[in-house]
Amino acid sequence: MTATINATLTIWNKHMRKFLMNGEELFGTMIQPVLWVALFGLGMKGVVGLGESSDSGNYIGFMLPGIVALSAMGGAIGGGMTWLDERVRGILKEYLVSPIPRASILLGNACSTVSKAAVQAIVIFLVGMLIGARPGGGMLDWLLAAALMIAYALGFTGLALSVASQTDDLMAYHAMIMLLNLPVLFLSNALYPLESLPGWMRIGAMANPTSYLVDGMRQLVLSEPGSSADFPLWLCVVIVLVFACAGLGLAARAISNKTTRR
Amino acid sequence: MTMADDRRAVSGVPKAVEVSELTKVYTGNVRALDRLTLSVDTGTIYALLGPNGAGKTTTISILTTLISPTDGSARINGMDVVRDEKKVRCDIGVTFQEMILDDALTGRQVLTYHGRLYRMSRGDCTSRAKQLLELIDLGDAADRKCKTYSGGMKRRLELARALMTVPKVLFLDEPTLGLDPSGRAQIWKYIRSLVKDTGLTIFLTTHYLDEAHRLADRVGILDQGRLVAEGAPDQLIDELGVDTIVLRGSGSTDDLREKLQSLQFVETVSVVDDGLLIGVESSSRHLADVVSQASGSAFSIEDVSVSKPDLGAVFAKYTGHRLQNGDAS
Repeated sequence: MTATINATLTIWNKHMRKFLMNGEELFGTMIQPVLWVALFGLGMKGVVGLGESSDSGNYIGFMLPGIVALSAMGGAIGGGMTWLDERVRGILKEYLVSPIPRASILLGNACSTVSKAAVQAIVIFLVGMLIGARPGGGMLDWLLAAALMIAYALGFTGLALSVASQTDDLMAYHAMIMLLNLPVLFLSNALYPLESLPGWMRIGAMANPTSYLVDGMRQLVLSEPGSSADFPLWLCVVIVLVFACAGLGLAARAISNKTTRR
Repeated sequence: MTMADDRRAVSGVPKAVEVSELTKVYTGNVRALDRLTLSVDTGTIYALLGPNGAGKTTTISILTTLISPTDGSARINGMDVVRDEKKVRCDIGVTFQEMILDDALTGRQVLTYHGRLYRMSRGDCTSRAKQLLELIDLGDAADRKCKTYSGGMKRRLELARALMTVPKVLFLDEPTLGLDPSGRAQIWKYIRSLVKDTGLTIFLTTHYLDEAHRLADRVGILDQGRLVAEGAPDQLIDELGVDTIVLRGSGSTDDLREKLQSLQFVETVSVVDDGLLIGVESSSRHLADVVSQASGSAFSIEDVSVSKPDLGAVFAKYTGHRLQNGDAS
């Protein structure tokens, strides 16, 4: 047990150090969500009927959870890249000849990936508030929202790690991940209210865990007076948790497949 | 207790490496290792020599617990590489054939993270890394990212990483692959001083004859997954005992070989890819005789050369292939 924790922390620490030392990765993954908030949010606020009566904060606040989801995904994609890179470079072999428990390879990767996602989500939240979102909610609401965000990030972490196990080619990994990128945001309630979507898109949005993270966060910390929730809060929590478990299950299978002796 | 255990108990200290009837068959029925048996004494250097595809990396991969044997067994200091994998992993250091380094980290970070994986204390990691960086002359570059290192510096850092955890047995898979002569000479220097100073056991693979000859106490020649010869380099060469005349050309060598074998001064005749190797007592005295035998035979000579006995001749004799010598002299 302590051996697993030690190795997990060592791998986590190394990944975070590389992440923070690498300005390009940090800047590159951060800039996209920031641009989303700034450009899309400010541009759309006049188009979308929301907040006509109020000031510009409303639409920014409305879309902020979706952008938090997007940046969590960005962090997860970066984590998948780290795993792919270590595998292709052979650094995985350094782990495999060492006496560390095999589970710590999965755990270390998952922890660092989630950490990257969380760092990004927090930065985005701050940017959103700077631009005009006005969050509410008490301490508990915030904690639950953060937990929800981390669970969602875990789900995507799992997806990214398992996709990154399928290929040895960084380009192919990006191509596969990009397939997920667009629908995650657009086929959800992140940018527009669920009831404004055409029927088939609404079904798609209801099948997308992002919708539940977004709705949950809105209810917890970004609720506007008079706005109505799409789903009950408990359902949001359950679906996001299921997503987290499913993602991690996939990653566990994919990684153990790559670390088993043949 | 099995009989093998009994024997070890009687003989005392187990061998650093003990491989018995080791066989590895990959999917697709590729037989990479075929009943390989060898052993390495503690505090010595053993070189596994062979052409690409002979099974050298497969052997190292099994010994370092990366892959499982199909059959047979391997022990490191008496510990089975399958059953006692964790203990084995604690006791070994490894460098791989490919350059495996985290380019984004500095040399010092590569070493300390490696130590942390093995649960060395922070203090130990720091002091051991410092000491090793001095040893391999990377002190000045220690805090630069590895991506700025030359090939030779990277290889040296890998060597230091393998030594970081004070292993009892060090496995080096082609430790000088891709290095220029001065880089190779430097690696050799470190390897030799390690064994002299610390009593470490080193198991290395190489396809450079000079590397095996200069470094190893014992050499095993691996060909198509089988050990075809084994011994101290000089002993193997002495057994050859003679100068070698190399005839290269085309056509059938059968009748020429028979003719040569019947001559009194000819000690050995072996067939290689493109000709014959003829062991004679003295090449200077008998070269003309040997060449003259070829006239009238089905083999037409295109090139004649004479070599004093060396590991290359040993290798050619046992494997039927000629191996290029390393670039370094």
